[in-house]
Amino acid sequence: MLELLSYGFIQRALAASLLIGLVCALIGIFTVLKGVTFIGAGTAHAAFAGVTLAFLIGVSPFLMAVLFGLSTVWVTTFVQEKGKMKPDVPIGVFYTFTMALAILFIGLMKGYRPEVYGYLFGSILSVTSLDLKVIAALSIGILIVLVLFFKEFHFISFDQEMAEASGIPAKRLSFLLLNLISLAVVIALKAVGAMLVFALLVIPAAAAQQWATNMRTMIIYSALIGVGSSWAGVFLSYWLDIPSGATIVLLAATVFLFSVLFSGKRQKARPV
Amino acid sequence: MTTHPIIRFSNATFSYNGHEALKDITLDIFEGEFVGVIGPNGSGKTTLLKGLLGLIHPTSGSLQIFDCACEELRCHHRARIGYLPQKERTDPNYPITVWEAAMMGRYGAMGLFKRPQKQDHEIVMESLEAVGMADLKDQAFGQLSGGEQQRVLIARALSQRPDILLLDEPTTGIDAATQRRLRDLICKLHQQFHLTIVFVTHDINLISGIVETLVVLKTRLHAKGPPEEVLTKAVLEPVYGDEVIIAKRDQKPYIIVRDTHNHA
Repeated sequence: MLELLSYGFIQRALAASLLIGLVCALIGIFTVLKGVTFIGAGTAHAAFAGVTLAFLIGVSPFLMAVLFGLSTVWVTTFVQEKGKMKPDVPIGVFYTFTMALAILFIGLMKGYRPEVYGYLFGSILSVTSLDLKVIAALSIGILIVLVLFFKEFHFISFDQEMAEASGIPAKRLSFLLLNLISLAVVIALKAVGAMLVFALLVIPAAAAQQWATNMRTMIIYSALIGVGSSWAGVFLSYWLDIPSGATIVLLAATVFLFSVLFSGKRQKARPV
Repeated sequence: MTTHPIIRFSNATFSYNGHEALKDITLDIFEGEFVGVIGPNGSGKTTLLKGLLGLIHPTSGSLQIFDCACEELRCHHRARIGYLPQKERTDPNYPITVWEAAMMGRYGAMGLFKRPQKQDHEIVMESLEAVGMADLKDQAFGQLSGGEQQRVLIARALSQRPDILLLDEPTTGIDAATQRRLRDLICKLHQQFHLTIVFVTHDINLISGIVETLVVLKTRLHAKGPPEEVLTKAVLEPVYGDEVIIAKRDQKPYIIVRDTHNHA
């Protein structure tokens, strides 16, 4: 075990999964409570299209992932307001549009490019020290914004209209939150892959909600589940030589299922 | 009652989802006045509230709140308007306590980047005491009964230390005894905090005994006046059709309308 911890790639994987697990679990709280999980799924696939384009034209995959991820939020918000429709409609259109782009870009590549599939299925054990620095910088940035606007995000998740009516700049904060969700997805992309990153965003918070009765416990449970399943996933995938992203998600999903089945919260309801 | 209008509609027309939901409204509401707004479904009651909240603006005419055009309402103005939205089912699993929900009323006044101070805690405690929910402050909000949840949301509005309190069908989906208790609570708060209250409801009899002014909407402002002047067959029949019956109960008018509301 101690010998394992001395390997550089394991240290990087653990550091990356700590940051990613924590950021996704905390952003995920508002994603789940506000009911905007679809933006996570949309962003993940758009960001993957950005990565494929980057490999095709030879620029930084990370930069393109950020660009495509954030543009999902901007385009969706614009179309939603312009067309006066529910957000899941433009997301659905954009999601398939960017997936089609990704398939097109892969088709245009010459030869087989295994790195591309790394972004699709995730490989936390191959995180480089440059990757880690980028993940760390963005994670800290996201966490700072999250702390600064925490009470407002809590309010708009509880009731957007009431928040706006009582003097909170709810529309702008809601847009900011969507951008943060998108960034959280992008930083987790290489580690768990475009197919599975959505799980890291939604599952810890959804499982935590089965137990938590106030915001403080919600934060603690969600962070523990997010970081816990990420770390356990890193070790398990190394020992059993199985894909890391899938292992992390399967562990988190198991916790979720267990929470739904055994949470005492509903039984604790006060008799009327 | 003072003579200063805190809310002033002047020939205001509001469109909602592409059609004119309220036409040519001219109406003054004075500081400390207790106004009931009634009208059938689709008569523009909720649109009136959305206008007062600054969420929609008049397409013609004007609406002034605190002597400020509603288009110019800033966050600090909005923080002085308490609002109790029409009750929707709150996710019973939403992880929030009674205390946390009531504290949200302070967020607007506190401003960005600030944490609740001692004064905020005192105001929230006072608000919860005013609605009789202080003992349950650590309870999960989602596990309360409908009437208790409404009390907490009223406390949330009171925590704003509002000048105006807007209530949108606050008693929907609540049993009759609890409805009356909530109404009496609102009445008490009106006197205690000298609030200007706009109480929107389809339940005429619930509020006819407590409000000073009744406003009857039917896309236009159909009538306005003290309840005893408004609750007559001549005023109500053009709005509710011949299905309105005015009976007497305890010397007071009791209105029976064939209820076409689809309240669940």
